[in-house]
Amino acid sequence: MKKSLKVMALTMLTASLLVTGCGKTTTTQTPPVEESKSAGVVNLYTSRHYESDRQLYDAFTEQTGIVVNVVEGKGDELLERLKTEADQTEADLFLTADAGNMHVASEAGLFQPVNNDVIFANIPDKYRADNNEWFGIAKRARVIVYAKDRVNPADLSTYEALTEPQWKGKVVARTSTNMYNMSLLASFIEVKGEQASLDWAKGLVANFARDPKGNDRDQAKAIVAGEADVTIMNTYYIGAMLNSKDTEEVKVAESVGIFFPNQDTTGTHVNISGIGVTKHAKNVENATKFIEFLSSEQAQQQFASTNHEYPVNPKVEPSDYIKSWGTFKEQNIDLSALGKNQQQAIKLFDQAGWK
Amino acid sequence: MIALRKLNLWKRLRHHLNIWAVLSLISIIIIIVPSLLIAIEFFAEPNHNWTHIKEYLLQEYIYNSIVLLLFTALATIVIGVSLAWLVTMYKFPLRNILKWGLILPLAIPPYIGAYTYHGIFNYTGIVQVNLRNTFEITVNQSYFNIMTIPGAIFIFTIFLYPYVYTITRSFYQFQSSSLIENARLLGSNSIETFFRIGLPISRVAIVGSVTLVVLEVLNDYGVASYFGIQTFSTAIFRTWYGMQDIDSALKLAGALMLIVILILILEKFLRGRKRYSFSSTKVRPIQPQQLKGWKAFLVFFYCFGVFVIACIIPILQLLQWAYITYEKIYSNEFINLIYQSILVASIASSIIVLGSLVIANYTRLYRGALTKIISRVTTLGYSIPGAAIAIAVITVFLAIDRYLTSISDILSVDPIFVFRTSLVMLIVAYIIRFLAIGYNSIESGFEKVGNTFTEASRMLGYSTVKTFFKIDIPLVRGAIFSGFILVFVDILKELPLTLFLQPFNFATLATQAFKYANDEMVHEAALASLLIIFISGISIYFFHRILDKEPR
Repeated sequence: MKKSLKVMALTMLTASLLVTGCGKTTTTQTPPVEESKSAGVVNLYTSRHYESDRQLYDAFTEQTGIVVNVVEGKGDELLERLKTEADQTEADLFLTADAGNMHVASEAGLFQPVNNDVIFANIPDKYRADNNEWFGIAKRARVIVYAKDRVNPADLSTYEALTEPQWKGKVVARTSTNMYNMSLLASFIEVKGEQASLDWAKGLVANFARDPKGNDRDQAKAIVAGEADVTIMNTYYIGAMLNSKDTEEVKVAESVGIFFPNQDTTGTHVNISGIGVTKHAKNVENATKFIEFLSSEQAQQQFASTNHEYPVNPKVEPSDYIKSWGTFKEQNIDLSALGKNQQQAIKLFDQAGWK
Repeated sequence: MIALRKLNLWKRLRHHLNIWAVLSLISIIIIIVPSLLIAIEFFAEPNHNWTHIKEYLLQEYIYNSIVLLLFTALATIVIGVSLAWLVTMYKFPLRNILKWGLILPLAIPPYIGAYTYHGIFNYTGIVQVNLRNTFEITVNQSYFNIMTIPGAIFIFTIFLYPYVYTITRSFYQFQSSSLIENARLLGSNSIETFFRIGLPISRVAIVGSVTLVVLEVLNDYGVASYFGIQTFSTAIFRTWYGMQDIDSALKLAGALMLIVILILILEKFLRGRKRYSFSSTKVRPIQPQQLKGWKAFLVFFYCFGVFVIACIIPILQLLQWAYITYEKIYSNEFINLIYQSILVASIASSIIVLGSLVIANYTRLYRGALTKIISRVTTLGYSIPGAAIAIAVITVFLAIDRYLTSISDILSVDPIFVFRTSLVMLIVAYIIRFLAIGYNSIESGFEKVGNTFTEASRMLGYSTVKTFFKIDIPLVRGAIFSGFILVFVDILKELPLTLFLQPFNFATLATQAFKYANDEMVHEAALASLLIIFISGISIYFFHRILDKEPR
């Protein structure tokens, strides 16, 4: 009796395998091919996996009839995949949340320039590559976050000031493997040179309350828990925590303050999410339309309102909530520098002993 | 007489050598290509980045990796073997549930376990929140910090010990009953029996299973990178993506492979020459003794405690997170995710099991230098870092696509099939990575049955192929099924390969969970994580049923 049950289970499993197995090749193969005959497609590699982004793709399809096919992965892995695929790639667009990656892709000859007046009008020079190979579509600021109950914001001034003795044992940070930290140090290398950047990294390491670990949200929690007084993190995550379903996370976000550093000197570090059309794209026209759409007021509004990011289109205001943090002066650098100095930044982190 | 029989058999088998050999070789070539790529790079001239890595990082990578490996191995042996022994030898409350419940943590991928436990213990986690809000106790954060090397060892141990537990237990249950019962009859007490009989005779099972644990830890990327611990795997990615230096990354991968090969050699050495085949067709399982009083309570408390920590607590936490984010996250897409995950895992597992059967049968019937190499090579894939496999696979398929395109250009027709946008690529990568798991299971199945039945069948006039289907497959069907399930569960949890090689509009439960967790939305990752655990859990239940019924 039991034996026959087992045999039955086995056969059922194999049968279902065979059935699904045969169905597979046809179902997964057809969509791109089928669609290309109708309104067309655009194939996107992206490292941004937000629900709000997906809503934007749907909105784009509704407006233009162009279907957006997506591969979601990690930025650096997608970059590596693009490099490997070279002229054989099916991707038309590469979108990632770091200007460094955009520059590296551009250097590797993976992009083609896009000269489109609509996009130029929507995105200021500052947020796009000189050669027009990539375009910023949303911004994030990496700021000082402090414990409201212990730190007087008047005591805060610059990233550099955090290396002073008064902050000894009062700073926490995430690891140097994190892209946001790499880009931060890369921007410093651009602004004040290698030696000063190394000194800064060493000085901050000397003030660490604990070894670097966790993600951006964990840094805010460490502050509220009293492990340290200040940290460096993206504004974006404070916004996300305030809207968390977990009431304790909301409390954490409410207990910390945001401080825009270097206002009297070099400006606060800003990074962008960027997008570029691949060199061997098969749907260049659709890809261009897609960038037009992402930079349009409608899409920019969405980045600002649902994802707590700063819009790049000057016609769109940040959300009221983001505006409540105040306006600030940004670092005035060519964002390509974040990619150009990336390798050097990693080496400086290692030399400074920033894990 | 025996020699003569063997000679005779050998002569007849030679006729079929080619079919089996060719099939095996094809599978092996698929695996060897990426390994060669790495091996060549390992001996290439070092560049300036390599000097930097050596100066600032290598020492720490090696130290961290060794500490993680050593302590995880020790802890999984202690927990896995003790549980296997207790569950096999004694009857105590809830034993029948714990017997298979203790395998369940295998369904929880360590990276999901890692962020779940971090979520429980961190500042906004349930423990601290209650201490703070209910009891008004402020705690020292460093006591609640699990993002450390000991924390990582804890995570690896509780989610990987089932490898040791399962394999050792099935050994105790079916292989050792006569030895253990004799020891009992001769008056050994239970502790003596364990140390003088149980531990020594199960050496093969323990070494084999701990090797799996060690390989898992060595190849882990998720836990180490989330906890900020620098290991070989995290270093490979840092060099590759951060420094844009594929040569140095491959060098590190080569070093990692070398370590793995050393471990595998060590495993063979530690296993010794012992082979255990059934001595008769009847294998009698061991009879457990009833425990009473405080002994029963103590054993129950220990086994149940492990079960709670490794299974109940993380699942409850995930359930709570899934509950608060359910409305935001759930959509019809999830049905599709489940379908896609099960689909690719089933296809790849079936192919792996078929391939393993062919190779295992070939290597067992034709012993020689070639077959030895083949059987070793199957485990190579398990030693290559996921990312390296991914790059190698994509490179090969691009070359194939290019070739196909040039043909269709000449004939001026559209290419019939494009590999690089299909699931074929991903499935091939799975095969390379997980063939070792399927093969090991089936090989040990064959090893336990021995060759006598096959030889008898051949003597009585069946051909090799007919013997294979009529005699061999039915004899090892338990090993086949459990090999399938092990591979299936592994693929369901797999991350780096899937992320790298996924075609357009494709996602699995694992990649979905990863995406949310990576974007610091741990609560939102809970639903996909739970589904992985649920599906794996069902498979593991079946696995347990087979294990329990089949003499393995």
